[in-house]
Amino acid sequence: MSTVTDTESREETPAETDYLISVTDLAKHFPIKDGAIQRVVGQVRAVDGVSFNVKRGETVGVVGESGCGKTTLGRCVSGLMEPTAGGVYFDISYQDLTRLESILAIPDGERPEAMDADLEEIAMGHRVDRMKGEAWRRYRRNCQIVFQDSFASLNPRQLVNSIVGRPLRVYKEASGNELTEQVVSLLEQVGLGREHLYRYPHQFSGGQRQRISVARALALDPELVVLDEPTSALDVSVQAQILNLLHELQRDRGLAYLFITHDLQVVRHMADRVVVMYLGKVAEAGETSDLFDNPRHPYTEALLAASPDLAKGGEAMPRTLEGSVPDPARPPQGCRFHTRCPVATPICGWEIDDVVLWLEDHPGVFEALSGVSRQDAFEAELSFEEEEAAGKLREALQSEAVPRAMREAVESISVEETTVKIKFHPVDGVELTERAQGHVAACVLDDLGGVTDVS
Amino acid sequence: MTLTNTGPDTHEVRPPGAIASVVDLKVHFQSKRGVVHAVDGVSFDILDGETLGLVGETGCGKSVTARSFLRLVPMPPGIAVGGAIHFRRRRPCQHCGGDGCELCDGLGRLPEECSQCGGPGCEHCDGSGIDNVDLLSISESLMNEIRGDRIAMIFQDPGKALNPGLTIREQIAEVLYEHRSEEIMERAGFDPEASNVTGTLVRRRATQRDRRPERILMSVPPFRSRRARLTRATDEMVAEALTETQIANPLKVMRRHPHELSGGMKQRVMIAQALACNPDLLIADEPTTALDVTVQARILELVKSLQERHQAAVLYISHDLSVVSQVSDRVAVMYAGRIAEVGTREQIFSEPLHPYTQGLLAAIPSGSHERGRLTAIEGTVPELIDPPPSCRFVGRCPYEAEQCRSADPILASFEPGHQVACFIHSPEPDSSLDQPSFARKTK
Amino acid sequence: MVDTAAPRAADSDPAPDSAWRVRSRRVWELTTSLFSNPTTIAGLVIVVLMIAMAVFAPLLTDANMPDPYQMPRDWETPRAPPGTPGHPLGTTNNGGDVLYGIIWGARTSLRLSLIVVSLTVVIGVTVGSIAGYRGGKVDEFLMRIVDVFLSIPELIFALAIAAVLGPSFRNIILSLAVVFWVKYARIMRAQVIHVKQNEYVDAARAIGDSKLRIYFKDVLPNSITPIVVQATLDMGNIVLIGATLAFIGLSEAGIAEWGVLVSEGQAGISSGRWWASTFPGLMVFLWALAFNLLGDGFRDVLDPRTETTR
Repeated sequence: MSTVTDTESREETPAETDYLISVTDLAKHFPIKDGAIQRVVGQVRAVDGVSFNVKRGETVGVVGESGCGKTTLGRCVSGLMEPTAGGVYFDISYQDLTRLESILAIPDGERPEAMDADLEEIAMGHRVDRMKGEAWRRYRRNCQIVFQDSFASLNPRQLVNSIVGRPLRVYKEASGNELTEQVVSLLEQVGLGREHLYRYPHQFSGGQRQRISVARALALDPELVVLDEPTSALDVSVQAQILNLLHELQRDRGLAYLFITHDLQVVRHMADRVVVMYLGKVAEAGETSDLFDNPRHPYTEALLAASPDLAKGGEAMPRTLEGSVPDPARPPQGCRFHTRCPVATPICGWEIDDVVLWLEDHPGVFEALSGVSRQDAFEAELSFEEEEAAGKLREALQSEAVPRAMREAVESISVEETTVKIKFHPVDGVELTERAQGHVAACVLDDLGGVTDVS
Repeated sequence: MTLTNTGPDTHEVRPPGAIASVVDLKVHFQSKRGVVHAVDGVSFDILDGETLGLVGETGCGKSVTARSFLRLVPMPPGIAVGGAIHFRRRRPCQHCGGDGCELCDGLGRLPEECSQCGGPGCEHCDGSGIDNVDLLSISESLMNEIRGDRIAMIFQDPGKALNPGLTIREQIAEVLYEHRSEEIMERAGFDPEASNVTGTLVRRRATQRDRRPERILMSVPPFRSRRARLTRATDEMVAEALTETQIANPLKVMRRHPHELSGGMKQRVMIAQALACNPDLLIADEPTTALDVTVQARILELVKSLQERHQAAVLYISHDLSVVSQVSDRVAVMYAGRIAEVGTREQIFSEPLHPYTQGLLAAIPSGSHERGRLTAIEGTVPELIDPPPSCRFVGRCPYEAEQCRSADPILASFEPGHQVACFIHSPEPDSSLDQPSFARKTK
Repeated sequence: MVDTAAPRAADSDPAPDSAWRVRSRRVWELTTSLFSNPTTIAGLVIVVLMIAMAVFAPLLTDANMPDPYQMPRDWETPRAPPGTPGHPLGTTNNGGDVLYGIIWGARTSLRLSLIVVSLTVVIGVTVGSIAGYRGGKVDEFLMRIVDVFLSIPELIFALAIAAVLGPSFRNIILSLAVVFWVKYARIMRAQVIHVKQNEYVDAARAIGDSKLRIYFKDVLPNSITPIVVQATLDMGNIVLIGATLAFIGLSEAGIAEWGVLVSEGQAGISSGRWWASTFPGLMVFLWALAFNLLGDGFRDVLDPRTETTR
């Protein structure tokens, strides 16, 4: 494994370093509008409470499947989208971050004024969606982004020299011949050359276009580059070229990367630390080798099983995961993964929605369902058209037809003619707990083999 | 035993049990800058019941090769230059009508007897007694019969391959109407051969060849119930197809439109549609590329189990080597319009012979590679416009020698089941040059 | 969707050494592809001839003083048929030379279409850009206005406005401008919304470029193509509608304008004097046809699909 470049810390102890990026309880929701007057009827909770840090010079990989929110996360970190809640803090010292966390631990409204003022100060200086003036410019110069679609990320009507030279022009760093020379130097650093200056994007291959994007991102010598699936659209041999290039650039310039991808092999290769996301939340995070050798979350395990490492002689047919990703507008209670988890327990957040979903997949009783009236997510009355259907449901919920964990999670169930009253044990969301140094996971299970209480 | 890449003879000995054989396929494209040799002399066999993975990067010609099976390549700008695709088709077993019986080993399909000799064996069928046709030269009507019925194809993006205006039921029913209309009629309790008015009306309806007056007639009471019977029978068959691909609650899914389903579901629907007629060969063109990795794992599992059940052969095309390793029995590696190497899965992944295959495997990132040291194959894929005779991998190969620049290597056998087109392993037969030492060049 | 291993010019062509050279070559290539279509060539030829006729009008004829746009009245040869010496296309009721009317009518048409198209494009593009770029309430407000305008058929609308304002050439220009700008607003808005979603716009934001600069460098150039096509088509259609309005009598009498000439010559048709109406009418047709052919040619050539794949 290559060495991580030394962090420029102003502290003595390595654990107390400054952070280039600190994501704190970040949430991004998108309103769902419906009807003639476009009333807001719900929120797509793309990112729903994510926290992690990126140090100078390190590569943090964010991995997950479609709908997990990683792209939205990347957009928020790079300042292209404003968070709905929480914040992205840029270049924040250890002291400021601890201070921030302790202030935020106290709920809004209960804080003394001095604390609020402190919060403001930190926000104005470091929070990406609040910074202005010099602080904002510094952030903007130091945080760049490379997108997945190399074709759509370059203006088809501009020549390469304008595209790559644009950041320099915007900040008036150079002009005329000097500008052209700097552009040539950038192109050479990414493996292109002077001969590519006066060409249009469509004249290049996918790999070359990505190199142009990288050159543009490097123009202002940033500290952090957000890489949003930079090689997903490329062939494997071209991907290898680009990954090698990215590593070289990081080594030479001390860059930090936020590497967003769905490809576990790539993230395993490139990242120092990994954050695994599922449905808007962090399922597990930790140092790469630790995380992949000792996964502590069933979802991480499932991802690993589905992408075998060829170099280690991957198995011929991996274990597979049932079900599909739930609707991000109605994420499951408790642990969001419980609807698909092969080792779910009774305290994982079973709720009424799970019953309804189960019914949908089992025709016969479903057609007779006439209404669901919920007290909350865990308690409801289901009304049927016939008594028989109600009885069948009660039977089913107490039989093998339903996962055992779900059965055990039922606190009470009673049938009154055509109505079934169900109550599950209510549970809170599952928090991230520390498993080993720097390794956190949001799962009630201790080691995926036995059950422990949530501490 | 050498299979020539460039011979005009298209009736060589084919190994027994090959359901399809591509022989020296050449497909070129007219473009502004010249003629692009997209597929330039490709030969391989697909054995009965096996999954052959065809792997290669963008532009290697694998998609064009796959589409040639069903003549889906648009013919301008495409130019079908040469070669043949032999296909040994089956027909539904008349004994059981497709359900499976002793005679057909439970498959519901029997090989078609050779049209020339009727069974014993002759030159046309290479002694096997089984009929083969050249997919590139048969008539359009025969091709229509085969498409969807004997050879089915599933595509990369199910969102684009499914008609957004049709419900799932209509989508799958289309295939059934076209190829299994007799079975629909039988299930509904009608005699497919009946020639009376009712029988004709029913038959027309089942094959969707009824016209307006007939439709009006069918909506009127005595005939209306018959129409309902046909509809129910079709519904049943559609539900069966969907259940086979592990779609829970097929009756509900049937009534939906493609945009209401997730990517994985859509892909299952496409697979269900493809398998509805129990084809002999399933061509899968990157079917899981657009899907998440966990969904992909399930689809691969499904394809494998369905293949076992139907005993169909599968041509699985992908650029993703790890996917191919999970699913294939044998693998063919394509590069720049030609086959570089063919072998069993073990052979290709444990002892790759062609430098391109080696480079490809070494380029896959993993935890065990040192960062910054992934073996990236130098250079880029060559333009394929009027290529001169030379190995296409010239300029990128670490073992390149003089010979490689002046002649085309031939796909030749290295060990049983393992063929490679490279001068390292099969030097030109009567070359007077000293055999170059293929020492690895240092970069 | 067929992978044809598209050739990459970047590595095989000689490297261009300046931006100017590359851009001029691109213009050249567009022009040549324009010429590959025979109908486009036909349209272009006619357009060029018409414009030449309009521009060189003072040279081609003796301008009628004091106002060359007024048809001359020559009482000596009224109603003369084509072929009369000095009047190759004949004369009108008032003795005005039909050929004069054709030539100065072209000039009038050119004035009309240029002014109207310029006005409508500028207004429409601005409104459409603001609506598309800002979005939200601004967008909704502007688009409701546009919708109202678009719900009225162009000809009727123009007719109504011209009738209210009073018959004059200037009022025809005004009414056409009022009617035609909405089309561009709608096109531009759709284009801006579409282009805005491209990642290169996000990339420009990530660099920190100002919104205005992003608009002019990224959004506008990539949205303008359909506007150009529509403007070309409208050069033809505006004259057509203008002529129609004139024909109905909403323009000034006696001016050298094709529609007016058709209208004035109409009465003579039943007496067999076809030339006073037919020739100007033919010109209207040719003008509209030519610009439509040219516009279609532009559309084929500038189609983003043919632009971005090589």
